[in-house]
Amino acid sequence: MNGATDQTNQCLVSLRNIRKAFGGVHAVDDVSLNLYPGEVVAVLGHNGAGKSTLMKMLAGAYPIDSGDVIINGRKVHVRTPADAQALGIESIYQTLALADNLDSVANLFLGRELLTPWRTLDDLRMDAHARKVFERLNKNFKNYHTPVRRLSGGQRQVVAISRAIYFNARILIMDEPTAALGPEETAMVAKLIEQLKAEGVGIFLISHDMHDVFALSDRLAVMKNGKLIGTYRTQDVTEDEVLGMIILGKQPAGKTQTLRDPAPQA
Amino acid sequence: MKPVLDSLKHSNIDWRMALMAGVLVVITLVFNVLSDGIFLSPENLYNIAQQTAVVGILATVMVLVIVARHIDLSVGSVMGFVGVLIAFLMYTAHWSWPAACLAGLVASLAVAMYQGALTAFIGVPSFVVTLGGLMSFRGAAYMVADGKTQPLTDEFFLKIGGGYNGGIGTTASWILGALICVAIIATRISKRRGKIKYEVPVLPLWLDAFVTLLPCAAVIGLVMVMNAYHIPFKDDAQGIPIPVLIWGAVALVISFLVQRTRFGRYIFAMGGNPDAAALVGIPVKRVTMLLFALLSVLITIAAIVAISRLNAGTNSLGNSLELLVIAAAVIGGTALAGGSGSIMGSVLGALVMQCIDSGMLLLDVSIGMRYIIIGQVLIVAVVFDVAYRKWTGDAL
Repeated sequence: MNGATDQTNQCLVSLRNIRKAFGGVHAVDDVSLNLYPGEVVAVLGHNGAGKSTLMKMLAGAYPIDSGDVIINGRKVHVRTPADAQALGIESIYQTLALADNLDSVANLFLGRELLTPWRTLDDLRMDAHARKVFERLNKNFKNYHTPVRRLSGGQRQVVAISRAIYFNARILIMDEPTAALGPEETAMVAKLIEQLKAEGVGIFLISHDMHDVFALSDRLAVMKNGKLIGTYRTQDVTEDEVLGMIILGKQPAGKTQTLRDPAPQA
Repeated sequence: MKPVLDSLKHSNIDWRMALMAGVLVVITLVFNVLSDGIFLSPENLYNIAQQTAVVGILATVMVLVIVARHIDLSVGSVMGFVGVLIAFLMYTAHWSWPAACLAGLVASLAVAMYQGALTAFIGVPSFVVTLGGLMSFRGAAYMVADGKTQPLTDEFFLKIGGGYNGGIGTTASWILGALICVAIIATRISKRRGKIKYEVPVLPLWLDAFVTLLPCAAVIGLVMVMNAYHIPFKDDAQGIPIPVLIWGAVALVISFLVQRTRFGRYIFAMGGNPDAAALVGIPVKRVTMLLFALLSVLITIAAIVAISRLNAGTNSLGNSLELLVIAAAVIGGTALAGGSGSIMGSVLGALVMQCIDSGMLLLDVSIGMRYIIIGQVLIVAVVFDVAYRKWTGDAL
């Protein structure tokens, strides 16, 4: 904890009593969750547990039925993806949210293109900036101008992550970031997460991979049928206890829940 | 040889487009031989060029519609409706032509807002919305003038459609051609400079020069052919026909929208992955409405050219035109699945179709046979498209 220390007492994101129903189904039912700067919170649960829905609400993709989103102590309304982006929230989706027919540079800037003074696309400037970001993530990335559908899973992930890096995400939502990746690329993502943590970025990590969860997260929150089962410090619980929460919705005996990590320093 | 091949590989040259241009050249040569040199006569080329303009104008924007995963089956009917309306206002209501055209544009925009809103906000598939429109607006075209033909006599207005007085003359054609060439060269040079400034790799000079001079040669060739068509007893040769000029301007503007503006990029993003487009914050509904508005402007332009060419507005104006327009876009390499297509392709597609049709007409092929062949050309184009995408690994 270096430069981020003085910020750590301020909560980056506080989700309070969030609810969302699709028709009669309560996809997310009264969930409260905090995220602090430089922290990785893993959000776990079965398919349909509501974790992706919760995250999509934070990212502005779904409207929130009721509940508050508080960012840096200020109550905010996230109605559209553009609202979320303006608040420094970036998402990396499982489906990667890339336009397959466009090249990597176009995808990096999609929705936020750099313009010339004549309001036309500034391709050269975007090109130059994109090269720097891609280089930072992967030295071997050279396919700037091929449609992303021709890229490998790892290269596509580089493009998706570059969106978060370039636009200086303060809050990053990663939905299964390593699902389609080989070992080398998974290591790249892990390294990147460490780097972003050190810069004080808060990360919500949705993952099914227990290895990733225990290797990367500081805290974990488990959801089942739209409800939050509990939030624990990752080091306090075992894999079996986590699986028990995911499958049975059972809180592990004798473990205290925690709303934050690291613990406030005296 | 190897560096040459390498730079060709990285040059972003659209090989499909190059091939299509090649096919077009072969078609014209074959018809020229079969027709004993009539096909490539300036008179015939002049006629083909102006005949293609209406389909060509609509095909440019149809590319965008299809790229965005929509379709418009009502273009022919709406064009008929707007065309008859303009002609009615001029002939029966005695409006001046600018006022009548403006009224036509308003009507066309209203149609676009109605069909666009159904598609964008209510989520009715555009196929259904415009299938309804195909029938309804054909009916509207009939109702405007009670089915009566509305003849046009305004001399200036009739030039818009080409024909006897519809060329801009030799001097203007040369000046225009020269200006276009200068503009092409200037933009290529400034692009190259910009790339060097931002340290983006550039093509080798010889290739850049070749890619720049080729379209210039095409422009000069067009001017030369059109200037060679001299109608007997007229003082000057025809020069570029006005409808072709309009088509060229439309293709240029739409290409600009595609390559240089957010609107164009969003259309392609929406076609490539609609979910992604929404997730990254593209205002999908607004872009869809804008697309329909653009479509309506071009339908109005096409209607003006069409009634001017016909010297009248009739309720059958634009019958089955939607099929030709969609076919031109598809022959030009636009994928019906959305996400890919090019404006230049639609220009070539429209020309290929018109050349084959006119060529067969010159050879006295029966109308039934012509329909059969044109239909199969469309199939061949799509088969080629599918094979090409498989071969380049671009399967959609």
